[in-house]
Amino acid sequence: MRMSKHITAGAGNKPARKGILGAIGGFFAAIIEFFTGTYKAFRDGDIWVKLSAIICGASCFARKQYVKGFLLCLVQAVIIWLFPGFLWPYMSKFPTLGTVQAKKAYNPETRKNEWNDYDNSFMILLFSVVGFVLLATAIVLWMRNIRAAREVEVLQKKGKHVNSFKEDIADCFSVKFHRTLLSLPVLGVVVFTIVPLIVMILIAFTNYDRNHLVPAKLFTWTGLKNFDTLVNMTSDSSFAYAFRNVLIWTLVWAVVATITCYIFGIMMAMFINNRNTKGKKFWRVCFMVAMAVPQFVSLLLVRNFFADAGIVNTICKNIGLTDWLYSIKAIPTANYIPFLTHPAWARPMIILINIWVGVPYQMLIATGILMNIPTELLEAARIDGANARQSFMHITMPYILFITGPSLVNSLVANINNFNVIWLLSRDVYTTSDQLMANANANEVDLLVTWLYRLTQDQSNYKMASVIGILVFIVCAILTLLAFSNMIKGDKEESFQ
Amino acid sequence: MKKFLSLVLALAMALTMFSTFAMADETIKLRVWVGDNQDMAWINGVIDNFKAANPDKTYEIEVGIQSEGDCSKVVLNDPEAAADVFTFADDQFNSLYNAGALQQVVEGADEIIAANGGATAGAVVAATGDDGALYAYPATADNGYFMFYNTEYFTAEDVLTLDGMLAKAESVGKYVGFPMSNAWYFYSFFKGAGLDMHVSEDGVTNVCNWNATEGVTYTGVQVLEALLAITSHKGFKEADSDPFVAGIKDGSLVAGVSGTWNANAAADAWGEKYAATKLPTFTVNGEQVQMASFAGFKLVGVNPYSENVGDAMDFAAFMTNEASQISRFELRGQGPSNINAAASEAVQAAPAIAALAAQAAYSDVQRVGGKYWDPAAALGKILVNGNPDNTPLQELLDNCVTGITAPADQ
Repeated sequence: MRMSKHITAGAGNKPARKGILGAIGGFFAAIIEFFTGTYKAFRDGDIWVKLSAIICGASCFARKQYVKGFLLCLVQAVIIWLFPGFLWPYMSKFPTLGTVQAKKAYNPETRKNEWNDYDNSFMILLFSVVGFVLLATAIVLWMRNIRAAREVEVLQKKGKHVNSFKEDIADCFSVKFHRTLLSLPVLGVVVFTIVPLIVMILIAFTNYDRNHLVPAKLFTWTGLKNFDTLVNMTSDSSFAYAFRNVLIWTLVWAVVATITCYIFGIMMAMFINNRNTKGKKFWRVCFMVAMAVPQFVSLLLVRNFFADAGIVNTICKNIGLTDWLYSIKAIPTANYIPFLTHPAWARPMIILINIWVGVPYQMLIATGILMNIPTELLEAARIDGANARQSFMHITMPYILFITGPSLVNSLVANINNFNVIWLLSRDVYTTSDQLMANANANEVDLLVTWLYRLTQDQSNYKMASVIGILVFIVCAILTLLAFSNMIKGDKEESFQ
Repeated sequence: MKKFLSLVLALAMALTMFSTFAMADETIKLRVWVGDNQDMAWINGVIDNFKAANPDKTYEIEVGIQSEGDCSKVVLNDPEAAADVFTFADDQFNSLYNAGALQQVVEGADEIIAANGGATAGAVVAATGDDGALYAYPATADNGYFMFYNTEYFTAEDVLTLDGMLAKAESVGKYVGFPMSNAWYFYSFFKGAGLDMHVSEDGVTNVCNWNATEGVTYTGVQVLEALLAITSHKGFKEADSDPFVAGIKDGSLVAGVSGTWNANAAADAWGEKYAATKLPTFTVNGEQVQMASFAGFKLVGVNPYSENVGDAMDFAAFMTNEASQISRFELRGQGPSNINAAASEAVQAAPAIAALAAQAAYSDVQRVGGKYWDPAAALGKILVNGNPDNTPLQELLDNCVTGITAPADQ
């Protein structure tokens, strides 16, 4: 085992950096290299390379790459045109997020409202971020343009072949095909994920809430005030209390929900896969049905079943269970069992219901894995005299753990953000009796995400929702990084056996 | 010849394009949001009448459905993208008004105020902003709550006091329902006992003296003691909308507090024995106190960001005029705010609307900041659970008031 590890490490061409710190160091080294490299290219280049620093693609014309040169000029022109005309008006207001409040006057002649040229803080924030991202992209492009100009110059001086535009295009579909394939997804990630993410993160540092709703009002920067609200309890704010409780319940829920579904899923798969089980397909279909029905249908139905005036409560009342529970003081009223309305009942109930919803999926995954366990391993174990329990403990279970490890992390993170189950089961029926929670618009069964949703949708409290969003991201990122860096190191293939 | 023909055809084509262009310019496009799928027949009739009443203009009116209960959430998310005309429950007036999402009624405001009973009428007060101007069009006056009861179990005498109702219900093994952990209803006890809670001048935070210990007729603690006596009564059952309907269907509830939206369910379940009246009195500190309530109205708002604000106002006014309110009552059973419409015999004969009229003397227009709801609901929930931790009542009130009156930047 030790041996194989060294071999794997030695197989790469570069010495492998160790750990996260190494990765971060490498990242910055690469950035510094990019800047110094560009500077060197500029310094050493001929007049055309230097001219490229002013007019992108200038050197292309000198090297007879007319189409490429024209395209680069065009890109530069578009970017230069975008900034003063469109983005700069927003970016210039970025430090204040706008100062002109909306005012309107009704014009009885035209029967229309006439508005002043008001600022919209949100639009200023959004387009400023777009502007900064575009600016960064433009700088990188500009520097690459200088480097590329120098590279071509060197090629030409050495008398080597300089690609024509046609050949460049052809390259995009052969040696550089990976770039062609990746360009679209990368663009999508930047536009639809990174830009909104930056905007959302920035909102955490503003006072964007019910009192500062755009477009009628403006919001502005408030520094770290919102983080302070979330961490420090004051006499008139219980956000810190609510945050601590919601975070604890979120983590407890995520761990318990993940583990229960995982264990029960594997057990179910084992039972169904057992040689002695008859009608395997039938059983599998039975459990699949629970998964095939959309969650929001099944969860809302279950919520109604277990409601205070629901069918389960009627049955419990009729068979005397409710009265008995009341007599031992397990429930606060004799009228119904608060399955989904009292924290001590609702939390376990939600976990139980989640098992019912989540197990089929886990079972399906485990079934696939069980079918793929190398039979020679199990046979060899049997010949060596291992009993069923031993081969499960030493072969089946390690194999399943090895395969499902990453997905286990995945489902833990998914459960931290498991909006559906919590929201659909508690919406409209759960009222907290914890006053401090209520004062922060939270309740005992809220996950961070459902609390966040309530803050945005019911309270228009975008600033606090954004702070919570950042913290959810940090929690998930830490868990994922820790788990993945320990589980997937690329050398586990051998270590399993 | 062919050439000539093609020229003529091309010219004709250009002409039609031009004419459709010109026509599109004149067409006034409006988007209208109504609260429910069942409003469609009514609103389509209103639109037809509106078009017929304005033959000199071309309207293209698109109807969308947006629940009146949370209309403000959607409008406030992006006022510039919201409908030109939208219907909302009056509890959202304040947040819409503060966010500048309501167009002031600049044309014909006086007529609208007069038609709805004058400047002091609830429906008009509910639609009036801090600056004294009208910012919405009153559409219905039936969105409050009152007492439903089954005449098989209660006489008109019985329903005067909550104590009497609870005792009667207990004696037959049935229940009286009240949504104690719903802050909207929970208000009625405190207000009835003379304690106050309303939005403050900034339009966002609340003023609340529920935890006052002196200078009031009854202290908050006395009210809580009264409420604990109610919630622990064997004839009491916590019942919000769904459990209320379930309870009257299965016969376990013989009376309960709810609103006109459940009138049909009650009439179906109880038939001839269905009756409704104002809220009863309850006992505080040994004395009978009349329960207060929030009066509820549905209002129609015009989006100030609308391209055609003037026409949107025309339509909103038409949609809430006497004829439209009468057809709304006929088709949807919703009680008119227009005094002429409300005076009609058919409206007067509806028990639910009569009950609301009787409650009107004890009801307030709802002016509440967003921080009220969760803390008050939590207090109600604690009472339903019978204050299991035996927290001192004054502490419960103090916590609740802290939440309700939390500063705006929290």
